[in-house]
Amino acid sequence: MTDRRSFLRGAFAAGVGGVATASVSGAAASVSGAAASEAGDAERPLRGFHGVHQAGVEEAPLPRTSVVAFDVIAENRRELADLMRAITDRARVLTAGGVPDGAGITAPPADSGVLGPDVPGGRLLVTAGVGASLFDGRFGLASRRPAGLTTMPTFPNDALDPAWCHGDLSLQLSARDEDTVVHALRDIARHTRGAAQIRWRMDGFVSPPRPSGTPRNLLGFRDGTANPAPADLGRLVWNADGGTFLVVRLIRMLVEFWDRVGITEQEQIIGRARDTGAPLDGDGEFDPPRFAADPIGKIIPLTSHIRLANPRTAQTEGSRILRRGFNYDRGVDAVGDLDMGLVFTCYQRDIASQFEAVQHRLKDEPLVDYVRPFGGGYFLVLPGARDDRDFLGRALLA
Amino acid sequence: MRPWVPWAGAAMAAAVVAAAVAGGEGLLSGGGTHASATVLEASIGRCGTGWTHARPGAQTLLVRNTGNAIAEVRLVDRAGAVHAELEGLGPGVTRPMRVTLGAGEYALRCSDDSAGDPRTGTFVRITGGGPGGPAVPAVSTSDLAGAVSAYWTKVTAGVGRLAGLTDALRSAVASGDAGEARRAWLPAHLAYERLGAAYGTFGDFDGKINGRPEGLPGGVHDPGWTGFHRLEYGLWHGEDTSSLGRVADRLDKDVRDLRADLPQQRIDPADLPLRAHEILEGTLRFELTGEADQGSGTSLATAAANVEGTRLVLDALRPVLRSRYAALPETDAWLARLDARLKGRTALSELSASERRRLDGTTGQALELLAPVAEILAPRRTS
Repeated sequence: MTDRRSFLRGAFAAGVGGVATASVSGAAASVSGAAASEAGDAERPLRGFHGVHQAGVEEAPLPRTSVVAFDVIAENRRELADLMRAITDRARVLTAGGVPDGAGITAPPADSGVLGPDVPGGRLLVTAGVGASLFDGRFGLASRRPAGLTTMPTFPNDALDPAWCHGDLSLQLSARDEDTVVHALRDIARHTRGAAQIRWRMDGFVSPPRPSGTPRNLLGFRDGTANPAPADLGRLVWNADGGTFLVVRLIRMLVEFWDRVGITEQEQIIGRARDTGAPLDGDGEFDPPRFAADPIGKIIPLTSHIRLANPRTAQTEGSRILRRGFNYDRGVDAVGDLDMGLVFTCYQRDIASQFEAVQHRLKDEPLVDYVRPFGGGYFLVLPGARDDRDFLGRALLA
Repeated sequence: MRPWVPWAGAAMAAAVVAAAVAGGEGLLSGGGTHASATVLEASIGRCGTGWTHARPGAQTLLVRNTGNAIAEVRLVDRAGAVHAELEGLGPGVTRPMRVTLGAGEYALRCSDDSAGDPRTGTFVRITGGGPGGPAVPAVSTSDLAGAVSAYWTKVTAGVGRLAGLTDALRSAVASGDAGEARRAWLPAHLAYERLGAAYGTFGDFDGKINGRPEGLPGGVHDPGWTGFHRLEYGLWHGEDTSSLGRVADRLDKDVRDLRADLPQQRIDPADLPLRAHEILEGTLRFELTGEADQGSGTSLATAAANVEGTRLVLDALRPVLRSRYAALPETDAWLARLDARLKGRTALSELSASERRRLDGTTGQALELLAPVAEILAPRRTS
């Protein structure tokens, strides 16, 4: 038994008492788009590729995703620009769909065929970003590193594995179906082999609503209830140039341990009721918790996840983030426990005053005993490609 | 120029949008049904019958073998370039043939497994429209004869060098000096790897001379495991040189047998273009992963030898390839980049994770560029 768990019991013993808490990650209060799997939606094309912003940030998360970090192996700035053009071209083609080129007898098939002879359009979101390491000496970009783009530090409760951290580029591919994601990843990797190599990759999924509301994570709690409203994204998420900062955190969940914890304790760790997602002082998922009315945490503990992540005060309003959680599930560990968890992603204008501020508040929260952040990184999601001639990263490389 | 986009180019980018609407007779849009489309006949007697109106653009032609022999069908233009092909089209079978056609004249060319020459149907003319898809003049078996002969001459010389080095290796092992035996192992092994033996080049000899323990019931302790890697395992795992003498003798004998057998071996001309990428496919899979290594830590030296083996193939094919493969200079450039990354390296462990990614990606890019060689130079019957 760890000391943090003891700490929590201590809190109980002190009679602060049973109050509960809620979600694994963190953030703030409002509604995430969870509608992707609603009936009828399945046939509606997603937004087009071009725009001020890249697709895949504002949109409701799709059921299947792959988060991939690449290292650039291009030899110089020109090859890097070619790489960004290639990624943009492939993203444009893959999101538009259509019949892939025939190579005739001059080459192996240009397309993997995974999606059949006519690739359906409007079924894929591609979101690309750059990491701080791209701005080292290799490409003469050192003076162009955006001030807010730093290297993810090790937080106090982290157990980071360097092989699962950072990267020169980030690429997130999302779709309703897994084959669409796999097809896109194979295509993009094939077209960029000599210029970029995959550093790490984690696939994730979004569960359907069970039975309604925000999808649940693998701790069994609804995750992402309290996201900013669309109207707040301009203030909290988007940079002036159309980009945004992305934080990726790969968080193993120790689900066997978690499953051996009583429901009252689980709910107090999170701050929400497991069944309904309601804050422990409310009835429904989207009822705002009234922390001010419970100053010593008799109902929702002061150490609960939702209370630390988003205290809902004027001072913490600016630290809210747009968070997207994807469950991952990838086999079994050395002691036979299931290796599963959360691909936590969040978007914000400023990582230091948003994600990091939230993360510092969450330091040593009772939940840390049940999770193990082992990877991830910080990235700048590039402004969108405006038209057929534009490419992602053009302004940076100009 | 996008060096890592082997099949790119403006014409193809346009074709991606393709599919188009079914228009003329005998055509079918990408997603359509076969029901109402006119079918092109493909048999020696009726080659291309039914194709009277052709239209430009990306399209799917339906081709039906109305003869009673298995047919090969190619869509050719006036210059003889092949745009598409169907091999092994059985009697009565209809298959789609996807093409993108620009302005020009096109015909079907049909052959079957009878002895006769291929028959070319009536040319149809297309005017207007965008650029056509990629096409390349067919290569016949006899076109490849020079390449095969040049390659075999080099391989024969290489096997001669190999025989000298395995003989030296045998002597070193016999001397009982393990250090000397280890020093003699690498040049001999690299001499073999330089030959670019991949996927059956030397028939059973490759398994005897350079087999890996995977697939053997006893793994590294399997008595049936012979050759360089068996010797490597012993020399780098402290096995006594006296017990390894038999392994070295056997290797020396197998190499001599290979050398003696070489004049009787025939390389299928169809195989040589495949080797262009297959050698490095093996390198990526077995050397750059470290899988083949049995203790010597020489995977990168082997990889460099495999690059030489690949160049042996590519140089032999160059006379037929040069006019047919626009990306050949680019391919050479990526092989040179790969070579430079390997230069002076021996062990995988010398490389950091990021250096390994650079090496893997460079190998991958070279492979993407080498793979089309097998398609372009697959021997095809020509008139």
